[in-house]
Amino acid sequence: MQMAKYNRRILLAAPLALALSSTTALAQQEACIGNSAAITGPAAFGGQAIKMGAEIAIDEINQNGGVLGKKLRLVQYDDAGAPPRGVDNTRRIALADKCVAVLGGYHSTVSVAQVEPVHAIGIPFVGVLAANTQAIENGRKPNFMFRVSAKDKWVARFLVEEALKVSKTGKIAFFYENTGWGNGALPDVKAAMSKAGKELVAAETFNWNDQDMTPQVIRARDAGADVALFWALDREGNQILRSMDKVGFKPTVIGAWGIAGNLGELAGPLANGVQVIQTYTFMGELGPKGKALWGKIQAKYGLKDPSEIKMSSGVANAYDAVYIIAQAIEKAGAYEWKKVREALYKVEHDGIVANYKPAFDEADPERQDAILPQYYKLTVWSDGKLLPIGQTKYAQ
Amino acid sequence: MTTSFQYLLSGLAIGGIYALVALGFHIMWSAAKAVNFAHGDTLMLGGVLAVLGVDAGLPLWLACLLAIVAGGVFGVLLERFAVRPFTGSNTSIGWMLTTIAVGIMVESLATMQFGGFSRPLPSPGIERAVNIFGAGVYPQELAIPCIALLAMFGFRALQQRTLIGRAMQAVSHNRQAAALMGIDVNRVVAFSFALAALFGAGAGVLVAPVVQASATMGTLLGLKGFAVAIIGGITSAPGVVIAGLGFGIVEKFVEGYISTAAREIVGFGSMIVVLLIFPQGLFGKKEVFKV
Repeated sequence: MQMAKYNRRILLAAPLALALSSTTALAQQEACIGNSAAITGPAAFGGQAIKMGAEIAIDEINQNGGVLGKKLRLVQYDDAGAPPRGVDNTRRIALADKCVAVLGGYHSTVSVAQVEPVHAIGIPFVGVLAANTQAIENGRKPNFMFRVSAKDKWVARFLVEEALKVSKTGKIAFFYENTGWGNGALPDVKAAMSKAGKELVAAETFNWNDQDMTPQVIRARDAGADVALFWALDREGNQILRSMDKVGFKPTVIGAWGIAGNLGELAGPLANGVQVIQTYTFMGELGPKGKALWGKIQAKYGLKDPSEIKMSSGVANAYDAVYIIAQAIEKAGAYEWKKVREALYKVEHDGIVANYKPAFDEADPERQDAILPQYYKLTVWSDGKLLPIGQTKYAQ
Repeated sequence: MTTSFQYLLSGLAIGGIYALVALGFHIMWSAAKAVNFAHGDTLMLGGVLAVLGVDAGLPLWLACLLAIVAGGVFGVLLERFAVRPFTGSNTSIGWMLTTIAVGIMVESLATMQFGGFSRPLPSPGIERAVNIFGAGVYPQELAIPCIALLAMFGFRALQQRTLIGRAMQAVSHNRQAAALMGIDVNRVVAFSFALAALFGAGAGVLVAPVVQASATMGTLLGLKGFAVAIIGGITSAPGVVIAGLGFGIVEKFVEGYISTAAREIVGFGSMIVVLLIFPQGLFGKKEVFKV
C-alpha cells in the first residue's frame, strides 16, 4: 500500500521533472558564476578565500570589457560545510540564478554530494579548494566536474615522496581525521607508499574536537616512525603536536593543507618546522603577478599582512579558475553550459598558480584537474608564519 | 607500564573537564530539578570571552575573571527567560527545548563574532610538559581534575554550612514547602543557575589553553558532561565527579588498546548499560516525586 502510494507519487512527479528540466535546458544562462562554500562555521575562512580570489578576477575581467560583452558577477551561497545545503545551492545557482558555472567550496564531502545534481542539471563545476579525488574522478561520461586545486591522489604521492626523502628509516606514520577528507586520503597514501615499495608503520585516526591524541602518538612512536604525515585541520593538528610534545616524540611533520590556517598561532614554537603543501602562498618573496594580486587584495579587503589570508591557495585557485571559465565562455561563444564544458578543454592560460597548457584534457580522466603536481609547493611554519620552504632555514 | 600511566594521566585530564561540566549539571538539578542544556555553551562563552579579552589588551587574569562573570550573568538570564517560565508545568519539554535553542543561538552568534578558527588562550600551565614516571602531561591538565575535586568539596561545604546552601537543598526537596517556610524559591533557583554557570565558564577558561577556544568547543563537552552526570547519578556531587574522572580514563584506555573509533561506542554504550542496571546512576539516590 505504502509502496503503491510512493510509486504513484513518482509517476506524478516524473513528467513534472521532465518538463522542468527541458525548460531549463532551453533557457539562456546568465553572466554569473555561482559558488557554494562555507561562509559560516569552522571553515568560514575557506569561503572567504574563494570570494577574494573570484571577486578580484571578475573585477579585472570586467575592467577589460567583461566576457562576450557582458559583465560577470559572483553569486555566493553558504553551505556551512553541510552536503545537503551544497546540493541545494547547486540547484539554486543553476536553475534560479541560471549561472554559467559553479565554483566548488572547501569541504570535500560537499563536493562529492554535488556530483549528482551537477550531472543531473548538466552545469560545469570547477572546484577550487576541496581536494577529494573521487569528487572529480567520478567515472561519469561526460564529466562536468573540473578542478583548479590540489588533488588528494597527487598530494599523497607528493607528500610520500617528500617524506621518504627526509626519512632516515623509511618508517612513516599517517594521522588522518575521521571525515570524508581524511578517510578518502587513506587509500591514496597507502597506494603512494606501496608504489615506493613501503608500508605505513602506523595509520592513526581521530575525530574533530578531540582534545588529546597521546594513544595514537604513542603507537606511532613505538612503531619507530621518524616522519609523520598529517591529514588534519589546524585545531587537531595542534593537538597531535602537543601530544607528541608530551610523550617526547619528535618526527618530521609534513601535512596536507588543512594545517595551513593558524597552526602557527595555536601550537606556537611546536609548529616550527612543520611542512605544509600548498598550491600558492602570499607569504615570503612574491613574483610580479603575486605582488599585483596582493596589492589588489590589500586595497579591496583592507588587509595589512599576507598572514591575514588564512587559505592563500584558495584565493589563488579561485582567481585562476575564474579566468579559465571566462576564457572557456569566450571560446564557446555563448553562455551555455554544454558549450562551455566542451570549451574548458581548449583553454590555455598562464595563471598565478600554474601555466595551464592546456587546463584540462578530455582524453585523460585524471586531467579534469588543472594544477599538476609539479606546481605544488612546500611551505613551512616558521615562528608563526607559513613561508615557502626555500626561503627558510628548513630548506634541504 | 609507562604507556598505561600515560593513558591514566591523559584520562584524568580529560575526565577532569567532564567532571567540572557534570558538576554544573548537578548544581542546577539539585536546586531546580531542571538543567540548562546550553551548559556546554556556557563553557564555550568562558573560553571565547577570555580570548577576546586578551585580544582587547586586558591582562590575562582580568580577561579570565570578566569571562567567568559574564558566564554567570548568562546563567542568570537564561534561567529567568528560558527555564523559569517552563518549570511550572508538569512536563520537562519546555525548558529542555528552550535551553537547547538558546545553546544553538549562542553558538551561532559566537561563530559569527569569533570566526571559525580555534584560538589559543595563553597560560603558564601549558608552556612546558612535565614528565612523571616517563609519562608527559601539561601542568594545566593536572590542575583540572584537582580543581574539579576542590569545587566538589567547596559546593558540599556550601550546601551544609551556609544558609543559601541549605535553602537550595530545601527547594530541591519540596518547592512548595520551602516557599511556605519563607524561602524565596525563585531567587534560590536563580542563584543555583548562576553558580553552575560560574563553574561552567570557569571550566571554559581552565580548559581553553588545553583544547583551544572556539565556537564549537562546548558542544561535545556539554553532551559528555551531561552523560557523565547521568552515569554518576545527577543527585550526587561526588558521584558525578568520580564518574567524570572514570569516564575520561576509560576513554583513553579504549583509545589506547582498542581504537580511537571505538571510543564513543564503548563510552556511550557503557552509559546505557549503567542506566539499565542503575536507573539512578551509579551513586544517585532514588528520587520520589509526590503528586
